[in-house]
Amino acid sequence: MEISSNGAETQPKFALPVDSEHKATEFRLFSVAAPHMRAFHLSWVSFFACFVSTFAAPPLLPIIRDNLNLTATDIGNAGIASVSGAVFARLAMGTACDLFGPRLASASLILLTAPVVFFTSIASSPVSFLLVRFFTGFSLATFVSTQFWMSSMFSAPVVGTANGVAGGWGNLGGGATQLIMPLVFGLIRDIGAVKFTAWRIAFFIPALFQTLSAFAILLFGQDLPDGNYKRLQKSGDKQKDKFSRVFYHGITNYRGWILALTYGYCFGVELTIDNIIAEYFYDRFNLKLHTAGIIAASFGLANIISRPGGGMLSDAMGKRFGMRGRLWTLWTVQTLGGVFCIILGQVGSLSASVAVMIIFSFFVQAACGLTFGVVPFVSRRSLGVISGMTGGGGNVGAVVTQLIFFKGSRYSKETGITLMGIMIICCSLPLFLIYFPQWGGMFCGPSSDKTATEEDYYMSEWSSNEKDKGLHEASLKFADNSRRERGRSVHSQTLPSNATPPANV
Amino acid sequence: MAAPALLLGFILVLACFSDTCFAIISFSSLQRTLVVTASHPQRPLKAGEDKITVTWGLNQSFPAGTDSAYKTIKVKLCYAPISQVDRAWRKTHDNLSKDKTCQFKIVKTPYTTTNHTSEWTIERDVPTATYFVRAYALDAQDQQVAYGQNTDAKKTTNLFEIQAITGRHVSLDVASVCFSAFSIVALMGFFFAEKRKGGKAQQ
Repeated sequence: MEISSNGAETQPKFALPVDSEHKATEFRLFSVAAPHMRAFHLSWVSFFACFVSTFAAPPLLPIIRDNLNLTATDIGNAGIASVSGAVFARLAMGTACDLFGPRLASASLILLTAPVVFFTSIASSPVSFLLVRFFTGFSLATFVSTQFWMSSMFSAPVVGTANGVAGGWGNLGGGATQLIMPLVFGLIRDIGAVKFTAWRIAFFIPALFQTLSAFAILLFGQDLPDGNYKRLQKSGDKQKDKFSRVFYHGITNYRGWILALTYGYCFGVELTIDNIIAEYFYDRFNLKLHTAGIIAASFGLANIISRPGGGMLSDAMGKRFGMRGRLWTLWTVQTLGGVFCIILGQVGSLSASVAVMIIFSFFVQAACGLTFGVVPFVSRRSLGVISGMTGGGGNVGAVVTQLIFFKGSRYSKETGITLMGIMIICCSLPLFLIYFPQWGGMFCGPSSDKTATEEDYYMSEWSSNEKDKGLHEASLKFADNSRRERGRSVHSQTLPSNATPPANV
Repeated sequence: MAAPALLLGFILVLACFSDTCFAIISFSSLQRTLVVTASHPQRPLKAGEDKITVTWGLNQSFPAGTDSAYKTIKVKLCYAPISQVDRAWRKTHDNLSKDKTCQFKIVKTPYTTTNHTSEWTIERDVPTATYFVRAYALDAQDQQVAYGQNTDAKKTTNLFEIQAITGRHVSLDVASVCFSAFSIVALMGFFFAEKRKGGKAQQ
């Protein structure tokens, strides 16, 4: 709990060491010091709550499907609906964070979707069930505000860890809910409620949790280390970029599209499994609801270390082998995830299924963490848009996968799982196409062209007009820092040559 | 070195076989020796309220001694084919340990040679669907040895509908609406408070 202040100015003291932007340079998990660690805990807990709500229905489906007279098609449609809302919500959330700050943006979304979770208790037909799952799914856009908030609060050396842990621990909600909901349901039923009423009462728990977490964000959180957006914009401390330019440079970067596709086959697969796995174990192995919930939960619970682990692995690979190392590791881990997915669909015994599922979960979730080890480098100006595209792509993957393999009765669940594994392997291949002129790609080294430097890459996002106005300064700083992505052996060679091409005056 | 491995292998193989030895009783191997009838009001029945009266007995056209192994009768409520469409969790399997057609127990009593009647109030967790009634005769090891049902072999006659309870209550509806309204109002309240504070320089 040392206080470290910048000697040059009389700054408010922070509990953690900070850099010149007042972003924390250390990540202390067990601290709740304002504003950095407090923001971390608020963001992961609220994201966790949204995951709990979005996936609260799947573990109780064996009860709900009888109460609402659902067919397998209805269930499949609702599952697809639950992850499709967030596709565009994630894109929109990036913009909202830019305009209003992550605190207001995320709290508003959470409080606007909480009523839908309450209304799940009064669903009475397949249509109403689909609608509540659709609108509840919008809350998964809090992923973007979580990552945005962490990037605003934590400096480069720890931002990967902060993002990975916040993202991973939020995703935990998808696993925890498979444990929580059957437990709550069981308690309420044992108190005396009938099955078809007990599940309805059970939904109040995630709804209340969500509401309370939003209140906590509004009461205890702040957007930036120095304060909230409104105040900083008034005092002129925050620059505003043009939305249209930011958007344009994001969507015209092909790497963003490739990552959106591949994220669809790690995170999208994770969402799909969250939706189908409890029912799969319940039906295939004739387990009790409670037991199926526990097994299904272990998939999502692996997030506690697997996603952060992926992020840390990406950082370690990046340090030694640069961007090429990050890409190779991402491809390898994600492809192995696909292999284990194929095996999961093939094994027929309960213990083997559980074991394979746990191994599969590690690889698939680590791939998510590894993806967001590459995303920050794709664009500096349009980081929000690229993150939103990738995040949204994850949900598109979940929608497409459930539509093709898990809707209705065309494929048995085990066949669907095997086919999904094959699709993971195929959709990870486009990673081979990602190429950074300054760092190379999976098969090609960096270009020997004189104009292939970090500065050239990041400056290409600014027009000469904008450069004249000096709007590109932050990107230049970032380009310099990103030279680490050349890898250790190359980096030490380039150090002596301090001739950073003067792209501007 | 080889002996323990062989022993383990032997045990594993035995385990596999023992599984097959005990479990597979197929429905098609059972004889339909029981006559089962179900009487109920001639309208969709309501779970939790209506009663079904089930009567079962041995079909007298079978030779005497057919029922020597019967120790218990288990009467179950079973899904008709129309309620199994697109619902793999209600699928009919010939292997009775995997069969999911009959998921609700009506009554389980010791077998008597005379006809037996039982009145059953439909439980409140029975879902909305079309049903028929089937009775299994069990032997001393609780294995199915014969059956009877109130419908024909194709399960098309004497089917009846049951309407489930909704599970909803007025108090739940009211609580949902109140809590939802509270969330929205609280959000607006926060925005309002932020706007007022926005005028001041201090956070």
